Amino acid sequence: MEDQHIPASLFDCPVVESRPVGAYRLISFVAREVAALARPGQFLMVRAAGQSLDPLLPRPIGVHELESDLVKILIEPVGRGTISLAGLRVGDRLSVLGPLGNGFDLTGEGPALVVGGGIGAAPLAFLVRALAQRGREVRCLLGFKTRGQAVAAELFRNQKVDVYTEDASMGEMGLVSEPLTGILAEMQAGGPANAISTAGAVGDLRAAEIFACGPDAMLAAISGIASDHGANAQVSMAAHMACGVGACQGCVIRTVDGYRRACSEGPVFAAGEIAW
Amino acid sequence: MKASLHTSLGPLNLGHPIINASGTFDVIEADRILEADLFSDFPFAAYVPKTVTLKPRTGNEPPRLYETAAGLLNSIGLANRGIENFIVEDLPRLAELPVPIIASIAGENTSDYGSCAEMLAGRDEVAAIELNVSCPNVELDGRALGCDPERTARAVSLARAATSKLLIVKLTPNVTDIVAVAQAAAAAGADCISVINTVHGMALDPWTLKPVLGHTSGGLSGPAVKPVALRAVYLVSRALDLPVIGMGGVTTAQDVLEFLAAGASAVAIGTASFRDPVLAARLAGELRDLMEIRGIYSIGQLSGMA
Repeated sequence: MEDQHIPASLFDCPVVESRPVGAYRLISFVAREVAALARPGQFLMVRAAGQSLDPLLPRPIGVHELESDLVKILIEPVGRGTISLAGLRVGDRLSVLGPLGNGFDLTGEGPALVVGGGIGAAPLAFLVRALAQRGREVRCLLGFKTRGQAVAAELFRNQKVDVYTEDASMGEMGLVSEPLTGILAEMQAGGPANAISTAGAVGDLRAAEIFACGPDAMLAAISGIASDHGANAQVSMAAHMACGVGACQGCVIRTVDGYRRACSEGPVFAAGEIAW
Repeated sequence: MKASLHTSLGPLNLGHPIINASGTFDVIEADRILEADLFSDFPFAAYVPKTVTLKPRTGNEPPRLYETAAGLLNSIGLANRGIENFIVEDLPRLAELPVPIIASIAGENTSDYGSCAEMLAGRDEVAAIELNVSCPNVELDGRALGCDPERTARAVSLARAATSKLLIVKLTPNVTDIVAVAQAAAAAGADCISVINTVHGMALDPWTLKPVLGHTSGGLSGPAVKPVALRAVYLVSRALDLPVIGMGGVTTAQDVLEFLAAGASAVAIGTASFRDPVLAARLAGELRDLMEIRGIYSIGQLSGMA
């Protein structure tokens, strides 16, 4: 969504923190250039450095947070690539290509409703912080299947987040998309949630805007709700990738204008562009 | 004494034997996205853009990629913007590269090869044309045109009639007798043979147990297919008096050395570029080291040692 181009490079990065966060693993590594350049919603192609051919390729992983020279990622060990990444320990090295992709467009001025599902919550910590730093009112909803995943909400340090779990083991019970209609209407009406909205904004910029990352079904539901309420929504789409730099045509997303590459034309798309 | 990496594909001279496999490296996109200035510091000895077809193709339904043990399954389906867009939009930019361009074309039928070759015949930017008769992702049964020696010969002779440019024919390993197809291509006027394209394969989702790829079946690449490729290079280069470009799982300088020893005159890097986007820039120097410690000082001396 942002057009401004930031050049990406390949880095060999030492892991300085590796700890479990419920069902996930938080990995921090030193990558000064990436930390200086990355924007919320951008991703990195990451693999354990070394000669092992299995797993073979890096995996696209969203930037979870930045802290001075450190880049943090959150890994859900579900396949051969992510299981390998979750096995990294302090002192191991990571091969990192990035920052890649367009990232979220933060230029609006209205209140922001940030919605994450499962591991899709990971890149939103950085986003929520960046939106708040721009003076935007932010409300954040995170949905998870279980408590094991939901403890990741603790990573949203100083931000207030509303947690939903499908099994009621933490926060409210249900899908995160369920309360969305009411909350969005409340924000658009300038209700309590809108109490500190930016003054002096004009036109569409002032409208409530949704930012979302999570499973396709969640994003599709959010897109429908946004469309019903005339709200702008930006969604970060996931796809298997090989190159990460626009070459292989492997990570395409079906949009109303045909297939688009998640790596080089995304991963963030306007919800209305996606052919759900 | 310093080993020379110079090699040639017929009249086409290359500074070293390492080129890219079609569809695995997009220099225009990579130059836009990466910090590196690829147009002045290009790592390959020639550039092979993604295969183009007469008409634009949207490609196959996603998911199009799935990683397997030391391998990558893909079912891209020759997604491309068509040869006209390639000629008008990409070629002028690609002409700025410091290396020869090997355009790659494919057809939905044999006559497309003649039409595409004719459109490229007058383009000075194009040093050679690769006929991709081996994409496994166009039909569900994977019956690439290159599975049939007669259809391969027909496609090659139509392209041959359209241009005097160096014609490279890229073959599929998904046949009983790859030498028979290579001989048919040679008899029809091919100048060079490229082996291999990807190997038929499929994968099931571990949970649903349904095919992962939207196209059900795909093509396997990466280190897993290296022995299949090495054998094809060995057989084709012995049977034919034409230069061979070897590819399939090449990941290290040792792999390059082995493909040259098996009979290749040049070697292409594909999936390995996804794993390590700066690999190609290192390989030539590493290859020279591997040659020198064996007392080999030219590609000609190495070629066919196996």
